[in-house]
This record gives sequence, C-alpha cells and structure tokens, in this order.
Amino acid sequence: MSDALGDLEAGAGRIRLPSTRRRGRPSSLLVLAAAIPTILILLPIIYVVLRSWNAGWYAIAAELARPRTALLFWNTTVLTVSVTVLSAIIGFAGAWLTERCDLPGRAIWRVALSLPLAMPAFVASFAWKSMGSEFQGLTGAVLILTLESFPLIYLPVAAALRSMDPAMEEVSRSLGRSPRYTFLAVVVPRALPALGGGALLVAAHMLSEFGALALLRVQTLTTAIFQQYELQFDNATAAVLSALLMLLCLPVVLAEIRLRHGHRVSKVGRNTARQRALVPLGRYAFPAILGLVALTILSLGIPFGRLGYWLLVGLSAGRGLDTLGPALGGSISLAIAGTLVTTIVALPLVLLALKSGGIFARIADRLPYVVHGLPGLVVALALVYFAIRLFPPLYQTAWVLFAAYAILFLPLAQSAIRASAELVPRELEEVARTLGRGPLKAFASVTLPALAPGLGAALALVALELMRELTATLILAPTGVSTLATEVWSHTNDGAYAAAAPFAALLVLISGVPVYLFTRRTLIPRRG
Amino acid sequence: MYDVTRRRFIQLSGAGGLALLPGMIRPARAAGGRIALYNGQHRPPVEALVAAFTKATGIEVAIRHGNSAQLASQIVEEGANSPADVFWSEESPSLVATARKGLLAPLLPDTLKQVGAEWSAKDGSWIGATARCRVIVYNKSMIEEAALPASVLDFAAESWKGKVAFAPNSGAFQQQIMAIAILKGRDTALAWLKGLRDYGETYNSDSAAVEAVEGGDLPIALSNNYYWYALAREIGAADMNSAIYNIGRGDPGTLVTVSGAGVLKSAKNAEAAQSFVAFMVSAEGQQAIVDAIAEYPLRPGIVSPFPLTPFDKLDPAPVTPDQLGDAEEALTLLREAGLA
Repeated sequence: MSDALGDLEAGAGRIRLPSTRRRGRPSSLLVLAAAIPTILILLPIIYVVLRSWNAGWYAIAAELARPRTALLFWNTTVLTVSVTVLSAIIGFAGAWLTERCDLPGRAIWRVALSLPLAMPAFVASFAWKSMGSEFQGLTGAVLILTLESFPLIYLPVAAALRSMDPAMEEVSRSLGRSPRYTFLAVVVPRALPALGGGALLVAAHMLSEFGALALLRVQTLTTAIFQQYELQFDNATAAVLSALLMLLCLPVVLAEIRLRHGHRVSKVGRNTARQRALVPLGRYAFPAILGLVALTILSLGIPFGRLGYWLLVGLSAGRGLDTLGPALGGSISLAIAGTLVTTIVALPLVLLALKSGGIFARIADRLPYVVHGLPGLVVALALVYFAIRLFPPLYQTAWVLFAAYAILFLPLAQSAIRASAELVPRELEEVARTLGRGPLKAFASVTLPALAPGLGAALALVALELMRELTATLILAPTGVSTLATEVWSHTNDGAYAAAAPFAALLVLISGVPVYLFTRRTLIPRRG
Repeated sequence: MYDVTRRRFIQLSGAGGLALLPGMIRPARAAGGRIALYNGQHRPPVEALVAAFTKATGIEVAIRHGNSAQLASQIVEEGANSPADVFWSEESPSLVATARKGLLAPLLPDTLKQVGAEWSAKDGSWIGATARCRVIVYNKSMIEEAALPASVLDFAAESWKGKVAFAPNSGAFQQQIMAIAILKGRDTALAWLKGLRDYGETYNSDSAAVEAVEGGDLPIALSNNYYWYALAREIGAADMNSAIYNIGRGDPGTLVTVSGAGVLKSAKNAEAAQSFVAFMVSAEGQQAIVDAIAEYPLRPGIVSPFPLTPFDKLDPAPVTPDQLGDAEEALTLLREAGLA
C-alpha cells in the first residue's frame, strides 16, 4: 500500500515513477507525509525534556528520590497492570462466550459487552463514588475502571476469534489434538495480537487517566501532574513526573511489539461466514449468563441509574439547559473535524511502517504510543508553548486543538488502520496495475476499499475519544467554545449534579453513535 | 450493506467536518464591542455578571473557563500575545502571580475606590470583587458542635485520625497554610501539614470533601463556605446532614480570602475591559454576583440573599490578601510535608 500512496501522490504530481520500485525504499513523499505526525509527537517530548532540563540535574534527582514519587510510581503501576490484566480476562472470556460458545442471545450480549465503551470513566466513577466511600481508593478504582475498559479488549478479540480461519483448528483436531490443546496452541496465539493491541490501549488509558481517579481519591503520576499544575505553573516537578510517565509507557509498547512480531497474515478476499461448530456450554450456560448479567448491571446499569437519580432529586435540574445546544454542536464539530485530521495524519505512518522496516519508520510508528500515556494537560501545555512562540496566529484556533487531538489519539487510528492494512497483500495492487489501471486508479479501486474497514474503525474510535476529551479542550479550544464534556466538568465542579446530568447523558448517547458504527463492523457477522 | 453505510458515514462526516472548519479556525480575538474573559471563578456568578454587563453596555464577552492557577499560567505563557482582556480569578494569589510578571495594567482609580483598599492590590493592578471564608463543615449526626476544637490547628492530631477531610490542591487551602505560617510561624504550619498528612483524609477538591461529610463518610471537612451552600442548593437546606461551623476568634480556621479581577496590559480592548471590571464592583454588578454564589460582596451596602454568617461577626484571622501574596511558600510547605 505504501507503493500505492507513493504512486497516488506521484500520479497527482504527474511524475511517473518507475514501477519497479516494489519493496524498495518508500517514496520520499510518503516519508514527508509521515514526518508531519512525527514532528507533532515530538513536541510534547521536547517540551517535557526542556522543562525538566530547566530544573537542573539536582532537582531532577531530588524529585526522583522522594518517597512520594515512589508511591505515585507504585500506584500507577499497580493500577495499570491490574486493570489491564482484569480487562484482558473479562474481554477474552466475553469474546469466547459470544463468538465460540452456544450462548443463548449472543447478538444481545455482543451489544451489552461493547456498550460500556460509550460510558466515560469519570461518569461511571462519579456514580460509584456517590454510593459510598468503600468504592474509593485503589481497589475500587481498579474494579470500576476495569468495568469500563474491558470492551477495548473484548472488541478486537471477538473480531479476531470470528475472522480466524476454522481450517487451522480443524487441522489441529484432525491431527488428534484435544480441544483444549487446540485452544491453547492454535486459537490463543492467533488472538494474542488483537488482545495485545487492546491491552496496550487499556494500559495507556490507565497511565493518563485523571478524572475518574481524582473522584476516587487515587494518586497516580497523572493526578500528581494535574495537582502540580493546579498549584503552580512553571513546574519542574510536573515535567519530571511526565518524563517518568513516558518511561512507564516504554515496557508496554515493547511488550506489544513482541506480541505482534511475526504476525503478518495477509489474505485475499474477505472472510466467508463458514459455519463453525460452537462449543456446547451445557451446565455452564447458566453461570455464564449470570456473569454477563452482573457485568452489564455493574458497567451500564449503575452509572445510568445514578444519572437518572440526580436528574430526579437534584435541585439544579434544568440549570444551564440553554447551553445544551451549543455544547452538543461544539462536541460534534470538534470531534468530527478532529477525527478526520487525526485519521489522515495517521495514515502515512501506518503505510510507511508496513512498507519500510527501517529504523526511522519503526520509531515513527511507535513514538505515538509512548506519548499516548501522557495526560492531555501536558500535551496541551506543550502546544500552548510552541504555538505562542512559533505560530502566534494559530494560537487558540481550532487547528492547535486538532494537533493536540492528533498527538493524543494517533495510536487509536494507527491500530485500526493497521489491522486492515496488514491484511492487504502488496501484490494485489500490482495485479491491478498489470491489468492496465493507472497508479491513481489502482490505489483508489484496490487499496483504498481494502483499507476502508480500518479507516472506518479508526474514525469511530477516535471520534469516541474526542467527544469525552476534557483537558486539552479546556486549554486549547477557541475562547467561548464549549463541549458536552466541558459542561459536565463545569457543573460537577459547582456541585450541580442534576444540571450536569443531561449533558452527561447526552455525551453517553452521542458516544453511542461511534460505538455503534465501530461494533457493527466488528460484530455483525458477514454474509459471504 | 453496512459497507455502504460506513462509507456514507465517512463521506458525511467529511463533508460535515469541512463545512464546520471555517467557523472554527477564526481566532477569538477581542475586537470592537467584544472582550475575552479568562475565568477561574465558579460559573454561576460569572455568567450572571456577564449577562448583566452585556445588557447594560452592549459589549459582548467571550468566556474561557478554567482553573485559576492554570489560567494564570496560561496568561504568563502567552505573555504579550495573550488574547485575554480580563482575568477573573477565584483566588488572589493567581492575580498576584500575574501582576508580579508585569502583565496586569493599573485599574481606573474610580474603580478601585468602590471597595475597601485592603481587598485590592496596593499598586492597583487587581481588585477584589467578593470575599469567601474558610470554615469547618461538620456532619451533625456524627459530631456535636460543642465537640469541635478551638483552633483549626488542633485537627492535626491523632485524636482526629480518619475524621478530617481536606483538599491540598485547593487554592484556598494553600492560603490557609500561608495564614498559619504568617500568624504562627513556618514550623507550626509545617507540623500542621504533617499532622494532616498522617491523620487526615485528602480529597481532590473542597467540594468533594464537603460531599464526603454530607454523605457521612467522615465527620469534618476544611472548606470554603460556599461549597456547603452550593450543596444545600442541590439537596435542599432543610435536608442537609451537615452544617457550617465558624471558629472565629482570629483563628486561621476562619480566613477571609478574595476573588477578584485584573485587566491585562496586552488587552486588545482595554477600554471595554476596564469598564467590565468597573461594572463588576458597581452596585448592579455586585448584586448580580452575590445572588448567584454564597460569597460576601466587597462593595458596602450590598446584601447577599444567602443566610451567611454576617461579615462583621466572622472575627477572621488578621491576614490580608496582600500578605498572602502569591502563596508560593505554601507549595514549598506542601512539598516538604509530602502532600504535593
């Protein structure tokens, strides 16, 4: 596909490049296009390094040696590892049940297991916290965040389990292997890349989570960074903690690379809906359903119930309702435009990484994941810093905000696009070329349609995140622009929960749109 | 099939996004009858004042909401390029910090005359608009008012273990630390913080601490007065499990702090910005503000509709906003105590 893009651009420029360039170096236009996201990603890194540097080595060392830093590091690690592992277990089990077992009502359970994706963690946390102090603290946070994070693993694993060619398992069984051995030796390894990709996202979310943890009174590196900036601005401590946070992202990124290593499975044609024998649950059917019911109540029922409760009893109900329209408009317009920018910027990164195994391409491809664990606040401040110094006319225009969105959510778009891009054989487009299609037409008629599912998933996922993004939006949005998320934040800040409830409910509802589009793609069985 | 739907979704969102772009790439610069307000104060009073101001003058106000300290930092970072015309801060230290960087223009003498000189900057770079008060919020069913101590300093003891909620992030809490350091010495302030660290419960904000007390999680919260009133507005004052207690007697447990505003030197529309701040301390403006939040008006002769403890009965700690300065020392103390 990288050839394709290169050819596309070359075609647009009316320069005909020799078509023998296959598997050679990627076109310089593609490299140039991939340089844009790379430069963007470097901005927060440079900012953090600059600010830490200003503090001096002594201050950095002193900061790292504080017992509090160790505590924050420990809390962050425990939270990230626990939520990721628990989400992986729940997500995998759910996917196994809905895709491979004769569970009654599988179509409904697929929806129920995907929908928590639409529930912002801070809304769920608020609901839980308001029911009692026992849900606060690290243990409560692990449980509550797991309940809203597992769909990030459930969805890709469910898709992987479905699209797996049953032939592999049939071969294993025909060679006399037991179902259990087949499961462990054939199914699990082939689902691991999907699981790893999902786990990476969950881990990165945990590293950068703020709203939910502030409500649940858990102190992590990210909440400490927010605290530092609330206490003082030009803050070396916050910079050092941010650097530490990025270091924490590294093992997560490396682990995911290892998981994906060697898994390039290209296939011609779409998966056919081959009937596969479902595993009979037998006497386990009842406990399985009970577990899923409990999961649905905990992840969806309680947060929604709580929103409804505040709406009914709170005396501030209806306050500020006139801003509902502008906030909805702000959310939708920022999310759609930001999503497009993020996805377009991500595309060349993915194509370059697939085309070239070179060191630049690999670093450029992975760098966004390292920054993905940074809180939006740090990215926003970095952009304030650079925009004011380098591009003052752009400052406080939506463009700087879009740049922040791209920096924060590139990995979501990358993962989704890559999932499709990896499946497209490089030869496919060349076949089209030999059949007489021009480079532009070959790209448009062969590669682009093949990428469409990935692009669609990327758009949906990024849109979902952008709708609930708060801190970067608060700092960078043009003055006077509000979104549903910023309104929820403002009202809950004033203790006006009933006033916040309609905004929160609407936020969950419109988040349902990308979730629907995304899950439709992954979860509705295709007909051959 | 669904492929078509998705493609249509992409097309539609693309068209929608492009259609919306032109409206959003326009920078929000103050021009003509429009000013940009960076607001760190709670929204209800700000929105009430802005509505009254626009009605009275025809000048429109674009509001950027945020946390006061963060907005101050943003203004400092923006420097001479700041799009802001007016900065309204929830706490005076953020105004002091901005003024120290030389970013605030002097206010009109006529404006400054409207409130007592002790509530504004000596150099006239910012003015106090409302006063708020540090109080003790207690849960009536968990503790008797008579059992509350004579000084806020007493809470930092083992006998109060697990019973006192406080918010180290809160700007007002930092001012309380400053007040203790000014009145009782730095060592006392540090020992107090270490005691709270060991025996108190930290919350992310004053309002979260007050809610925890109201919900019966623990009996005591150190908070600003209006968080209790905001909750009472939500739940209904008669249904509240918690109440406000004023220590008084000049104890730092009762500390009066101010929210206020300044005009930026770099304001594109300085005249309109000055008129906004003047309106803020006018009789009409002050009434609009105190109708919307349980804070004390600083202009004499204005009456709050909230059942506040009368301002002259507070008997607060004898510390002025000027003495509190930018409260930078409080951060050092918080860090030394391991709370930040």
